[in-house]
Amino acid sequence: MFQPVSLKGDSPSPIDERIRGKYLILYIGIIILSLVPFSVFEYSYIIFFWNETNYWLFFILLPFNVLVAIYIIQFSATLISVLILKIVNLLHVPKEGNFKRSLEDRDYLFWNIRNIVKKCPLYVSASNPFPWFKNRFTLWFFGVKIGKKTICDNSWISSEFVSIGANVIIGMNSTILSFGIEQDNFILRKIRVGNGALIGAKCVLLPGTVMEQNSKLSVHSYTSYDQVLRENSIYLGHPAKLKNT
Amino acid sequence: MERDNYSKFEMDFISTSGVYKTPFSLIIIVQLFIGSIVLFLVNLWFINSLYYLLTGSEFYSFGLKAEWYYWLLLPLNIYGNILLFTFTIILFSAGIFKLLNKLSPPREGIFERGSKDWKYMHRRFWVAYFPIWLARALPLPWVDIVVYRFFGTRVGKSVVLYEGYIDPLFIEIGDFTMTSLNICIFSHLIYQDKILIKKVKIGKACVVGPHTIVSPGTIMQDFAVLGVNSYTSIEQELEGNLIHIGTPVSLTLPIQSVEESKNKAEKIKLKPSNAEVNQNEIEQNLKEG
Repeated sequence: MFQPVSLKGDSPSPIDERIRGKYLILYIGIIILSLVPFSVFEYSYIIFFWNETNYWLFFILLPFNVLVAIYIIQFSATLISVLILKIVNLLHVPKEGNFKRSLEDRDYLFWNIRNIVKKCPLYVSASNPFPWFKNRFTLWFFGVKIGKKTICDNSWISSEFVSIGANVIIGMNSTILSFGIEQDNFILRKIRVGNGALIGAKCVLLPGTVMEQNSKLSVHSYTSYDQVLRENSIYLGHPAKLKNT
Repeated sequence: MERDNYSKFEMDFISTSGVYKTPFSLIIIVQLFIGSIVLFLVNLWFINSLYYLLTGSEFYSFGLKAEWYYWLLLPLNIYGNILLFTFTIILFSAGIFKLLNKLSPPREGIFERGSKDWKYMHRRFWVAYFPIWLARALPLPWVDIVVYRFFGTRVGKSVVLYEGYIDPLFIEIGDFTMTSLNICIFSHLIYQDKILIKKVKIGKACVVGPHTIVSPGTIMQDFAVLGVNSYTSIEQELEGNLIHIGTPVSLTLPIQSVEESKNKAEKIKLKPSNAEVNQNEIEQNLKEG
């Protein structure tokens, strides 16, 4: 959709400044590795079309070349980061819970490393001009399951501990956060959104929120930690409360 | 401003705009193809020049040969190409947009999912998607207003549209109006299995504050201001010459004139402010110390 400035970036994955420089090589490595299939593709394109008979085809097929190249970059970036993510997860299994926000806490440290690994593919898929294979496709590789016929391209969705059902509509500019940073504490909780739920525009779901089937969250509201939104009911406000009918 | 006598539609809550991907969204590839074909044809002389420099023979028999000073025009050429690419796509998709409007004239009201209006709303949206993405993403300063004008939105003169979501149809924006960053102006909303389409009117010299949501059917009268982080409910009317705040809008405040605010500022200036007092104390302490 016509994405505002804030949505052109990747999904919310802040990285602690204290280790940002330390793992820079990991980040740059993913970028370079993900560009290798792209350069192979471009090389073969030029070799195949840049000869005396095919000059016209070379220029006429350029738009399709761009289209394919964008998806090749996105796909290879995702695959490489998934491979590295598997290795990182072997070193430390991601789990929910309350942690300390210090680098001595292994959960917090590895959460940051996971974010570094995921940053490149999420950025590439978010800035893809074409509406196909975006959020749902990329997040599926990171273990976020999003059901069929769900509208989720115009929102920020955390890349882990989220499960979203089918036929859900996630509003424009809304944010789904499975992590929370409260002063010295760091919280990771799973968010579940049931089938047929509706989240309005500019909503924020905080960690641990459970939206049951067909529950509705009105526009411009946010939920509190571990809130449960009941079936077939409407919630609104700051934080969200059941609407009296 | 006058409003048509519509039966008032009460919604339990305000949801969001949501557009599904349909097979019609493949129109983006057609737009991309047509844009770059025109780009290729216009740039033939430049390609010819490049080809001449590389091989020594001509790419086609007519036209210009490579001269060194053509390459001085390269920056101009790149910027011109960006403009050319976007404008061919805008013109092409505006044509399709008008064709769709003729096939099924857009109308306001409440429609079922899968109905003709629902389908055509999706088609119109996907036609408008790529040109607006280009206008927002490429370094072009005023093209987004032009795009909206091409798609039948009435946009007045001297309007500022910062980046945000604005529906391409059923929106009227008056002269000298400013819409801030990250706003959503919806002319359609999803309600369970239905879709609601209502016209939004924004008058002259209005300000739509940042992070606001304007729901369908909202009428902003001239010189109205919608405050930060607030949203309007469906079919709400915002009076002119006032500031409106609330979720949904419930509080109105007067706009102070320049003279009033000047007088207030002068009154405050007469009394020594806390910061000045503190600074004087610090200076005295330093002298004593």
